[in-house]
Amino acid sequence: MNSHPYLRAYMAGITVPSIMLLVVLTGFVMARYTFQMPIPIERAIIFPMALVPNLFGLWNMFYLWLKPRPHLPIGFHGAILPFILAPSGFLIATCSGLLAATSSGLVWFHEIVVPYGFLAAGFSLALIAYYLVWKYLVGFFNEVLGIA
Amino acid sequence: MDKQEQQKLADLLKQSLEPADSGLKRDLWPQMLRRLDERASPQSWFFAMVSPPVLAAVPWFDWALLAVLVLGICAFPRSIPVWLYHF
Repeated sequence: MNSHPYLRAYMAGITVPSIMLLVVLTGFVMARYTFQMPIPIERAIIFPMALVPNLFGLWNMFYLWLKPRPHLPIGFHGAILPFILAPSGFLIATCSGLLAATSSGLVWFHEIVVPYGFLAAGFSLALIAYYLVWKYLVGFFNEVLGIA
Repeated sequence: MDKQEQQKLADLLKQSLEPADSGLKRDLWPQMLRRLDERASPQSWFFAMVSPPVLAAVPWFDWALLAVLVLGICAFPRSIPVWLYHF
């Protein structure tokens, strides 16, 4: 019987960002309607809703494919993902008018100015977040689905 | 061995063997259910994930990374929407 390990890897991968999507949407709605930030939710939600979960699933399938071969631990494997997600996020945000590059830094949602000096610190925090999420959450779901 | 002797032998064998139970003395289904319950995880997946033995196994370095992450977000709360966008 084919136990479809790649399908299970995809499902284990998309679980965390799918749960996080509720948090993301709640955060955007609160930022927009409570803190009056001009965030166009319908455009801002495209990237976290469509691309991030699918990339998590595909990245976990890739991890499963790598398992019989020399591979990194799952935490470090997940920490590589921001190197793909961040440029694609910047690209989509720029194309959808959510992000603008100015002389003082990147302006997100026409409101939040991120100085260029902070980008490295922010990216380092993203690496930490992805390392922890993949090591403990995606790793846990992989165990639950029997592909750890 | 004639028919009479065969019949006698059969009777002796029947007498020496205890009669088999034709029916169950009790209902086995509750015992089966109890075994299935024992085999199933006693905790839900969420509580299994955050149970004290699991948390105790987390190395101090990962706790330190988590602290750095939380401090970083708290230091720049206006960056939260950007974080939300990228997750």
